[in-house]
This record gives sequence, C-alpha cells and structure tokens, in this order.
Amino acid sequence: MWTRVSDIDRMFNAMDLFRSNLDRMFTDDDRFFGEDFGWRVVNGAPRTNLYDSGDKLQVIAEVPGMSKEDLKVRIQGNYLELSGTRSLDAPGGYKAHRVERNMTEFTRSFTLPSEVNADKIEALLRDGLLTLVLPKIEAARPKQISIK
Amino acid sequence: MTEKTDLTTRKESMLEKRQEIRRAIPLVDIYENDEEILLYADMPGIAKDSITINVDNGKLEISGIRKLQITGTASWQEFGDIEYRRVFSVPQSIDVNKVNAELKEGVLKLHLPKTEAAKPRTIQISAL
Repeated sequence: MWTRVSDIDRMFNAMDLFRSNLDRMFTDDDRFFGEDFGWRVVNGAPRTNLYDSGDKLQVIAEVPGMSKEDLKVRIQGNYLELSGTRSLDAPGGYKAHRVERNMTEFTRSFTLPSEVNADKIEALLRDGLLTLVLPKIEAARPKQISIK
Repeated sequence: MTEKTDLTTRKESMLEKRQEIRRAIPLVDIYENDEEILLYADMPGIAKDSITINVDNGKLEISGIRKLQITGTASWQEFGDIEYRRVFSVPQSIDVNKVNAELKEGVLKLHLPKTEAAKPRTIQISAL
C-alpha cells in the first residue's frame, strides 16, 4: 500500500531502470525510433540554454569539435551574437565508411532579457560546451526593498 | 477511509523529483585505412571520466552521461542532461588491447588498430 506520491514515483523509477536494461538485451535495430541524435545544428545554429540567476545570465551552447579560435562571441547591449565554423577533421589516406558529422558554419543571435555588463563577461569552452556568464547591469539586478 | 485522506493531506517533507535522462545517439564518422579503424563521435558536454567504451564479443559500445552545471532558472532550454549510447559491430580483426581513445572539445576519437594478421601484406615474388 502506497500512501505517498513519492512511493509511487519511486516505483516508476525502478521500472524505468528495468525497462532500459531489458532494452539492452534485444537488438539495437529499432533504437533509432523515438530517440534523438546527439548533436546537430537546429535551424542552422547549435542548441543553447539560457539561465537567469538574478544578478547574472548564463548561456550554454553545444559546440563540439570547435576550438576557441573557431568561435566568436559579440555583444552589444542586450544583443548577443554567437558565430562559429566547424571544419571536419577528416584524416588523409583513410577510406570513409560513414560520415554523419558535418562541417558547418553558423551565426545565431539572441535578445537577452536584460542588458549586461559587456566588460565582465566570461566565456569558457570545455568539453564541447561553450558557457557564457553575463553579469547584468546594475539597473537590471533585483533590489532588496527594506520595509519601514 | 482514513488512509485515503492521508494520501492527499500528508505533507511531503522530502518530495522526490524523478529526473528523466533522455537518451541520444552520438553522430559518428568512421574511417579505415590499412592500419586501423578510426571513429569520431560528437559528444558535447561529456567529461572524460563519464565515458565508457566497451569492446566485447564483436560489439563496441560507447556510452556516457552528461550532466550540465546549471545555476539559476531556465529562461529557455534546448538541451539537457543526456545519456549517449551507441553500439557498433566491429570485426574480430581488431586488436582490443591496443584500442585507444582521445577526447577533445567534446569529440571522442577512437583508434581501433587491426591485428597483425589482418593487415594487408605485400607478397614478394621470388624470381627463379
């Protein structure tokens, strides 16, 4: 008898694990259905996330196989532009069996929800993810109102 | 009947949130020359420690879980935590002990060298 919602949830959790283990026992032929591919350019640009934590914004973009020289970040007010090129690292003297990754060139621009301090932006490229930390300008930060 | 009301009124002090990790198939390029098979896989955001590469019984399995480092609330989110997994059949002529992998900028590069016996050989013709 389950009396709490979380108990039921926990049961489903266990079932999911069981199902995924069961899946592995069968052939992998039908795995393509209902699953998405790891990385691809959507509408000509990489996928991004934007997080707002009050005094700063965080933008993360998936940019595998690109070095920091391949990427360009421009900012003006609350307008952010991200562009990059990816060249394929196809080795010479090899015969290609399968080529799914493609070379690409993209530009993506965003209107950020608030203006940011362009001098204090940090950009970090790690494991194929570009993380931008954009501190908001003073006027856009949340303020504590003291109650009299 | 009292138990039924229990279900709705009880305070959840430690509410568990079930996190679903989506599964994704990394895109790959596969190349071959006389010496080895070379595989590239796009796995952005994955750390070196969270990748597993298994070669067993003619199957090569690459898998790994990506966890994003997130601060704040999402204004938009086009990708999230993901489990990459893909299985390939590899010929028995691969020298399993010499397989080596590099991870750079979210791209996994896997060298699968062929065994000596599987490499092409030039046969010398001896003139009589």
